[in-house]
Amino acid sequence: MTFSDAISLLPLIIVGVASLLVLLAGPFCQVRVVTVVGAAAALAAGFCAAAVSPVNSAGLPGLAFTPLARYLIPVFCVAAALTLLLSHGYNLRHEIRGEEYPATVIFCLFALCVLPCATNMLTLFLALEAVAFSFYVLVAMDLGRAESAEAGLKYLLIGAVAAAVTAFGLALIYAGTGTLALGALTAPAGFHSILTAGWGFVLIGIAFKLSLVPAHLWTPDVYQGAPAPVAGLLSTTSKFAGAAFLLMLLAFAPPRAELHLPLYLLSLLSMGLGNLAALRQTNLKRMLAYSSIAHMGYLTLALMTGTRDGYSAVLLYGAIYTVMNLAAFGAVASLSANGERGAITDFAGLGFSAPLRGGVLALAMLSLAGIPPTAGFIGKFFVFYSAIRGGEIVLAVIGILFAAISAYFYLRVVVQLYMRPAGANLPKPCSRAESFALVCTSLGIVVIGIYPTPLLRLVESALALG
Amino acid sequence: MTIPLFHVLILAALLFAMGLACTIAWRANVIMMLIGIEIMLNAVMLTLVGGSSQWGMADGQIFSLMLMALTSSEVSLALAMVVYLHRRRQSVDTDDFNSMKG
Repeated sequence: MTFSDAISLLPLIIVGVASLLVLLAGPFCQVRVVTVVGAAAALAAGFCAAAVSPVNSAGLPGLAFTPLARYLIPVFCVAAALTLLLSHGYNLRHEIRGEEYPATVIFCLFALCVLPCATNMLTLFLALEAVAFSFYVLVAMDLGRAESAEAGLKYLLIGAVAAAVTAFGLALIYAGTGTLALGALTAPAGFHSILTAGWGFVLIGIAFKLSLVPAHLWTPDVYQGAPAPVAGLLSTTSKFAGAAFLLMLLAFAPPRAELHLPLYLLSLLSMGLGNLAALRQTNLKRMLAYSSIAHMGYLTLALMTGTRDGYSAVLLYGAIYTVMNLAAFGAVASLSANGERGAITDFAGLGFSAPLRGGVLALAMLSLAGIPPTAGFIGKFFVFYSAIRGGEIVLAVIGILFAAISAYFYLRVVVQLYMRPAGANLPKPCSRAESFALVCTSLGIVVIGIYPTPLLRLVESALALG
Repeated sequence: MTIPLFHVLILAALLFAMGLACTIAWRANVIMMLIGIEIMLNAVMLTLVGGSSQWGMADGQIFSLMLMALTSSEVSLALAMVVYLHRRRQSVDTDDFNSMKG
């Protein structure tokens, strides 16, 4: 490992050192200090990643700072920093004490940063699993609510099965090709059937991670049980990481025709069932869970085209979805008092009694529905545009129709916020950290929606060499 | 004597199917589910070692060593959670963990 390797992997080093520092020095500091240190380290790592120029040669076995990493690491870092800021007040109200919460978030960020740097399947798989491990702990962190631990156990059992299936797929791909390197996934004659079987298992495993129908059943329970800021981080970064995992495997391998049908069905069913099931939810977090299933369906639609347009739409949509969902879950977290504010009717009138948070929640809902000029519109536009250009016209039209249906349940929340009288259960005042994080996310939604060119340019450069 | 790759894969596939059947059939008991997951991961390791010997490369063996570490940490995490839930509910029966519906 030379000096230039160390420089190019500086974001990973910063995050790794910060996680250990937070865990070891945590008992001697106030939680407030620990949170600020964690958020600052995450932002520093993101800034470093954006500033360092990418190299494609592998300096270390299995790790290289690729252009894709240069795009994904800042997104993950900003998401983790915002989550830390959002969860500080929430954790105080819910008595989630101690330094292990920020430490686990930073550990999770470390794994997220390793994932796009991976150049072989071993590193890729270990990073994906390390992300999942951190989330098993984070989901079960709220000792005050029985659902939290239950959700953690459910997530762990299903995640472990999914990990075993993914690992079996990767093992079969290895047995078929004889290499773990991502660039060389072609099978010699006579081994094609093994490779195809391997791809099938990988798809099933990733369908669990991305909660695509029919492997989606864990999602609503886990989102409902998890603390709201954790649910926000889980629904954004871990999904985006899963999509990046699949994108890296697909983009480096030669196109495989037999993957088209399974991806088509996964996308169709997720868009359909996600949107239709969200219509009849009464709990906001469950509704957001079904909405994330539908959004992952859109992402799969862009991914299955296999074109460069499709891949850039995936990267764009992932970043936009991260901002929107962090805003939505952040507002929910900040509006929750000692208990969790769950039912949609509990949000009645909050647009007036808590103007900032109600406004951010309404903005996030409009963006998730894909109404211009929000970021969600740009994301959906590029997904469907790339799908139509990639030849998936029927599925794109079905997707647009389902997206139109989805406006109903998103707008229902906005109606509750602004057109219903307020209930008795008023929220606590908003802390400065929470307001700062919420303002950042909503600025992100509006700015990307009005002026998406810089983000589009970043996405283009992320795919330039990778 | 070398064992052909396909024989190894058939054995691994059988083992994997048995593990999966165990997780699905004994869904009522968390401990049995963990045992099933363990069997599935052992099938994965067998495949990796088989592939490794087929291609004469150590990559697969390293992968299976990493998987062992991963499995043990997974099980320790799961057991910690089972113990914690058991204290709250006095049960390892998954049917008792049903506070969320919809």
